[in-house]
Amino acid sequence: MSFSEDKFSDDSRLHLAQIIDNINAGIWEYNINTRNIKWSAGFYSVLGYEPDEIECSNHIFFEQLLYHQDKPIFLSALTSSNPAKPIQIRLLTKASGYHWFESTIKKHADGTGQFIYGSVININQYKQTELQAARSDQLYSDTIRISKLGSWEIEPGTLNLTLSKQIYDIYELQTQVKLTLEEAVSFFELPYRQVMQKAINNALEFCQPYDLELLFRTAKNNVIWVRAKGVPIINDYGKCITIRGILQDIDNNKRKGLSLESSLNLLTDQNRRLQNFAYIVSHNLRSHTGNLQFMVNLYEETELEKDRNEIFSHIKSISGSLNATIEHLNEIVKMQTEITNERSIVNFEILFRNIQSAIKSNIEALDAHIAYDFSKCPQINYIPAYMESILQNLLTNALKYSHPDRQPVIRCYTLKERNHIYLIFEDNGIGIDLERYGDQVFGMYKTFHQNPDAKGIGLFITRNQVEALGGTIKVESTVNIGTKFTIKLV
Amino acid sequence: MIVEKIPVNACIIDNNKTYVYGFKKLITIKNLSCQVTNFSNGSEAIVHLKNPLNTNNLPDLIFLDISMPVMDGWEFMKEFAEIKSQLGKKISIYMLSSSTDRWDIDRAKNISDVAGYISKPVDVCRLTEIFNSIDRRYPTA
Repeated sequence: MSFSEDKFSDDSRLHLAQIIDNINAGIWEYNINTRNIKWSAGFYSVLGYEPDEIECSNHIFFEQLLYHQDKPIFLSALTSSNPAKPIQIRLLTKASGYHWFESTIKKHADGTGQFIYGSVININQYKQTELQAARSDQLYSDTIRISKLGSWEIEPGTLNLTLSKQIYDIYELQTQVKLTLEEAVSFFELPYRQVMQKAINNALEFCQPYDLELLFRTAKNNVIWVRAKGVPIINDYGKCITIRGILQDIDNNKRKGLSLESSLNLLTDQNRRLQNFAYIVSHNLRSHTGNLQFMVNLYEETELEKDRNEIFSHIKSISGSLNATIEHLNEIVKMQTEITNERSIVNFEILFRNIQSAIKSNIEALDAHIAYDFSKCPQINYIPAYMESILQNLLTNALKYSHPDRQPVIRCYTLKERNHIYLIFEDNGIGIDLERYGDQVFGMYKTFHQNPDAKGIGLFITRNQVEALGGTIKVESTVNIGTKFTIKLV
Repeated sequence: MIVEKIPVNACIIDNNKTYVYGFKKLITIKNLSCQVTNFSNGSEAIVHLKNPLNTNNLPDLIFLDISMPVMDGWEFMKEFAEIKSQLGKKISIYMLSSSTDRWDIDRAKNISDVAGYISKPVDVCRLTEIFNSIDRRYPTA
């Protein structure tokens, strides 16, 4: 060891050397003039060696102990002007691989020459923790970013709101402006705003946690689904001291969920209608076959020619009804097979005029006034057979249920709104009591008037055709005023 | 006391003309002592029952179909429950259907005013039994 001679006595120098050897740090000294290098006993021991177990040389230091990537930083510290900042380097220990060390380098000159000396202190554990912390931080912020999750805090007394950076990302605000609670809540869409406000109030007042899925409008006017979750943090007396929570962009999943839900509803509906269909068909067929059996039995019971003739005429009418029921079945089966048919461009006016001329005698008999206007949307890409069936069913329906006291007036027109095409059918007929029959209007074999022509099949088929192509049909009606069908075709 | 049998006054509410014809014909062929009136839906029957002119000519028995337009069997039973106290006569109601649906049968049996459920077409023995259960004596002076 060589230290400046003028400051220390031999005794104190020895004492100092002992202390230095015993602390958990290594000291080295390099004589620039002689290129001589010295390591303290601590230097060996921090690396896990006994003194002199390895050769004390520049070569060993640079080529064996110092991690090659840390060489530049070490060299630049050596050449930099005093006082150099401590640097962090990796040195190879005897038994446990590279460890992190902090090294302080100083230059010094005295009568015996120019020296560079420095210390190495093992900071491996601290460094590992630091690296781990940095990694956790990275992981945390990546997770937050990936999960589109922002965190916030409300202070109950002042209602002061603290928002994380990710909250501003979700809000799509460019700068992290300070938001009041009211401002923050105002980004929620109207019906949900009250829900959010109420949940926060309940959390503040009654310490109630909440977990909500709400519609949100960002600063850039994008409407998205978010999850807002909040938990109250309480003090020893059970009073809320903070509400802490998250806001998460769940738009993608929520929308998928919603569309799944609506498909499920559609399927449930279709399934219910199929079941209803099966029930009705079996009921109807059974009623016909029951009657047939009934008549045949009666035929056998009676000897009278007059009775037998009467009974036979009923058997004939049953045969006709059976045939009609089978035809209805056939229509439904046909509808199911036609769905695989190609769509093509259907011109409303041409089709409507064809249908009108096909039922001309019917229209003339009722002296019906029929007006159409397809100018808003003259054509549509649809299954032609379906469109023909829809128009025909609605037109014959309007004629069938026309009011006996006035000239039937029927209006048919198309509308285009956003990306949807609507077909509207209005009449001034007898109407239907929807409060009473509401959901049955489109049911099979549901008839509501004592009209001998009513078969209860037309609107059932129309609804199925419309829905099979992804549309919807709605009815509005007032008894004795008229009926309006609104069909969203696509 | 002189007891003399008089015909049962029955009524059938069904929109199926063939069935109504068969029902009446069966009674004639089997010589059952019964006069039958018919209505093609529940609403017509209610109007008839409520009419004060018919007070002395109310049916002993009603055979009621389930599915009919305008007012079906279930709706008729609801209306009937409301007017029965004003009728001044006990009327037995049998529900009549070709439905073999358990649900329909249970629903009919759970209506207290319904005396029984008959599967269409109809069994003559059952019909005779029902007619015999009706008290058919002239009120004695």
